[in-house]
Amino acid sequence: MADRRRSVPKTSDRLGRMLAIVPYLVQHPGSALTDVANAFGVAPGQLRRDLDLLFMSGLPPYGPGDLIDVDVDEDGHIWISMADHFSRPLQLTRIEALAVYLRGTELLALAGMPDAPSLAKALEKLRRSLGAQTLREAEGRIEIARRGHAPEHLDVLRDAAMTHERLKIEYFAASTGEWSDREVDPEEVFSGMGHWYVAAWDVDADAERLFRADRVRSATPTGESFAPRGLRGAGRDLYSPTGEDVAVRLRLRPSARWIAEYYATTEVEERDDGGIEATLPARQLGWVARLLLRVGDDAEIVEPAELRLEVQQLARETLAGYGHKT
Amino acid sequence: MGDRAEPLERLLNLVGLLLETPTPLTFEQIRQVLEPYGQANPDSAKRMFERDKDVLREYGVPLELVDVDVWGTEQGYVIPKEKYYLPEIEFEPGELVALLVAAQSGGQDPAAESGARKLLYGADGGVLAGLGGGPLASGSDARSNLVHAVAEATQGLRRIRFTYRTSQGKTDDRDVDAWSMVFRAGHWYLVGHDRARDDVRAFRLSRMVGEIADTGAGSRPPDDFRAADHVNAGPWVAGGDDRAVVVFSASRAWFAASQFPGAIEVGADEDGRVVMEIPMADEEAFAAMLLEYGPDAVVRSPASLRDAVVTRLEALLG
Repeated sequence: MADRRRSVPKTSDRLGRMLAIVPYLVQHPGSALTDVANAFGVAPGQLRRDLDLLFMSGLPPYGPGDLIDVDVDEDGHIWISMADHFSRPLQLTRIEALAVYLRGTELLALAGMPDAPSLAKALEKLRRSLGAQTLREAEGRIEIARRGHAPEHLDVLRDAAMTHERLKIEYFAASTGEWSDREVDPEEVFSGMGHWYVAAWDVDADAERLFRADRVRSATPTGESFAPRGLRGAGRDLYSPTGEDVAVRLRLRPSARWIAEYYATTEVEERDDGGIEATLPARQLGWVARLLLRVGDDAEIVEPAELRLEVQQLARETLAGYGHKT
Repeated sequence: MGDRAEPLERLLNLVGLLLETPTPLTFEQIRQVLEPYGQANPDSAKRMFERDKDVLREYGVPLELVDVDVWGTEQGYVIPKEKYYLPEIEFEPGELVALLVAAQSGGQDPAAESGARKLLYGADGGVLAGLGGGPLASGSDARSNLVHAVAEATQGLRRIRFTYRTSQGKTDDRDVDAWSMVFRAGHWYLVGHDRARDDVRAFRLSRMVGEIADTGAGSRPPDDFRAADHVNAGPWVAGGDDRAVVVFSASRAWFAASQFPGAIEVGADEDGRVVMEIPMADEEAFAAMLLEYGPDAVVRSPASLRDAVVTRLEALLG
């Protein structure tokens, strides 16, 4: 779909936008240009140019529609008249309806999704109203499985992000296995690959950090507010490589392929046995060694060599817990 | 302005004209009314009109060619209002915001965004002001055009073919009656009847290679079919009838409790280590999962699980 849309002349994008925006403007006289531009995903300047064109539009000798009259006043409010035939938007296409429904379903599947009841009601209305021709049988054809439970402090994190309030958190870093107390300025709370994340400024490290919400053991508002830096939330890479990363090269048997689906990997090569060889960038080797303990001989370390020693050392320490001397 | 007029203006005028006209209009009649078609020479005007029709139809405008009279001697163009206009849907402001946020979440999907925006027209004035937040979720790992195509196939109960790579890395062609889609833990799955295997199977969309091909009508699922039951949780997901007792170090215990569904704390020792009882389904898979905790997890019971862990470790040390 995305590819096909790109090949269509830009006119059709503008047309689609106007067929959605004009009905909104007819129903909401005096809307602020900037609000409308923001909601419809268009630059204010472009919206103004498109609106100017409407001056020329109309139905010469026919019916009630003389020339559409558009006026953007000094305060940037839009007034429109004589556009009765555009007072309601065009029906959603099947793909549009399905796409909205699918996206909504993805969000409903998230444990801890704010406003889930509103979303569920909206999808239900959409399904019923668009009915037969668009969302024929979405019910029973598009489902959610197992919702899990929301991270305990998700609401506190979300509130702080909304009100720009600094938090003290107790955080478990899975990569080192250590707990730390940190002061953070949370900016975006979002979900990715089934987990909730917080994009925040780490005050102690004086750097941007991504925290997994389910690894926050406690979160306490400090009462101090912060100025947002515009950190990116949803859509960002969940792993951002640093200059100090070690490139761990692994040869994975088919049964360990999931590692490449679960972690950010690069330079993935298919192997004849159905397995793969892939590079896993890692800031610390500790968690990689534990991961390799888990998969055993389904993974072979190509490099770095010292990782092999680390895995063996870890295996010995673990065996010691069972009273084995090695 | 002639044919140098903005195409957008021309298209809007054409839509308005064909929506408002009481009777279907022939191209000649349209030419008389809409200046850009009238001024160009007839052939290029006709070509321009054909292109415009395509653009409008591609955009979902129901532009139809129908008989002008009962004798069918002449045909004309019209846009039937009942097919063009979105039906009235009464959304609460919060519902519209939720839909718009959903459409913007999950990565770029122009179809979802343009669809949701069409719904905004009837919104309360306050809705736009409430649209401050960004998207709530990153995309799933499946391509959005593939997600749409598979959804369409399940909606129409179609039979489809596609190339699939299993989690074990084997690639082959599948012939499946598409029955349902399931979203689970960040992934979309297709559940349907795999014809070659004569069995109900689930396919993760991110493991489909290339596009799907529609090969005709499929079949209807049995009445008691529940798609979610067929999406395999994977052996690494804990939960089952057997229960393991595991001792975790103080630093990892909290994290472990959050990772194993159904884990209960049953005691603690003097070093602050926490004893947990955890439901487990597959002993070997569970042993592997525990090993990721290294020395921070030690199995107490059952003995068979202890053995499984020790055997794996000894194998590693050779």
